[in-house]
Amino acid sequence: MANCQETLNEMYAYLDAELATERATEIIGHLKVCTDCQSAYEFHAEFKSIIRLKAQKDELSEGFLDRLRECFGDDSLKDA
Amino acid sequence: MTPQEDFTHDAMQYAPQLFSTAMRMTRNRNNAEDLVQETFIKAWRSFATYQQGTNLRAWLFRIMTNTYINKYNAQQRKPTETELDDVEELFLYKRLGAVDQSQLSQSAEDQMLSMFTDDEVKNALEELPDQFRIPVLMSDVEGFSYKEIAEILEIPLGTVMSRLHRGRKSMQKMLYEYAKKRGLINEALLPQGDDE
Ligand SMILES: [Zn+2]
Repeated sequence: MANCQETLNEMYAYLDAELATERATEIIGHLKVCTDCQSAYEFHAEFKSIIRLKAQKDELSEGFLDRLRECFGDDSLKDA
Repeated sequence: MTPQEDFTHDAMQYAPQLFSTAMRMTRNRNNAEDLVQETFIKAWRSFATYQQGTNLRAWLFRIMTNTYINKYNAQQRKPTETELDDVEELFLYKRLGAVDQSQLSQSAEDQMLSMFTDDEVKNALEELPDQFRIPVLMSDVEGFSYKEIAEILEIPLGTVMSRLHRGRKSMQKMLYEYAKKRGLINEALLPQGDDE
């Protein structure tokens, strides 16, 4: 099983789904038994998801998608 | 559908994602729209060399990132690692206790995060220097793997990881400063010193 320091060090690699299955299992094992690391983990999981949620909302201007379609030449306009 | 129509259809699906990333890159709507348009024009021109089965999404982000770096002379590949202050590990998490509860309606543990506005999160991202901002955008917003980010940016995997790490910590510090400016932080509530 991983210890606290290892768990905190590898927390983001785990969150980013970059750990090998075996190592991920060791990290999960530690999170299950250590409330300190568990709460740090939950915070960072939320931090990651909130960046995604809040930085992904940009309304497109009217007509922008139409202008983009024109980038593809005539072939793409057949069924437009 | 012809392969061309397929390609157009698939590429258009990624337009909103590309636009959001372009907004964070250029910080300006007109420039962001131009950047996505330029990306699609280049993609269409390179269609002949595009291999079916290639990761189209990563390919488009790579074209856009390169276009951005060249067009705006971004500092992407220069080793200016000192451009960011070194921020303490778990910066924001360690300061949760300083959130002034009376300023917030929520009582949940996650209040520190839900209290940030969309604009604050966008600003914190946009304040990061390019070489940190692009990896954070690609990972946290777009969900690309480290390997994909390394390919999009043409930098080593280890560099992706260290820039992500520093960029994320720096964002946490900026968000904390925004919260402080809004009067949501009472630093008297922080544990004193590091002797605990
Ligand atoms: Zn632990």
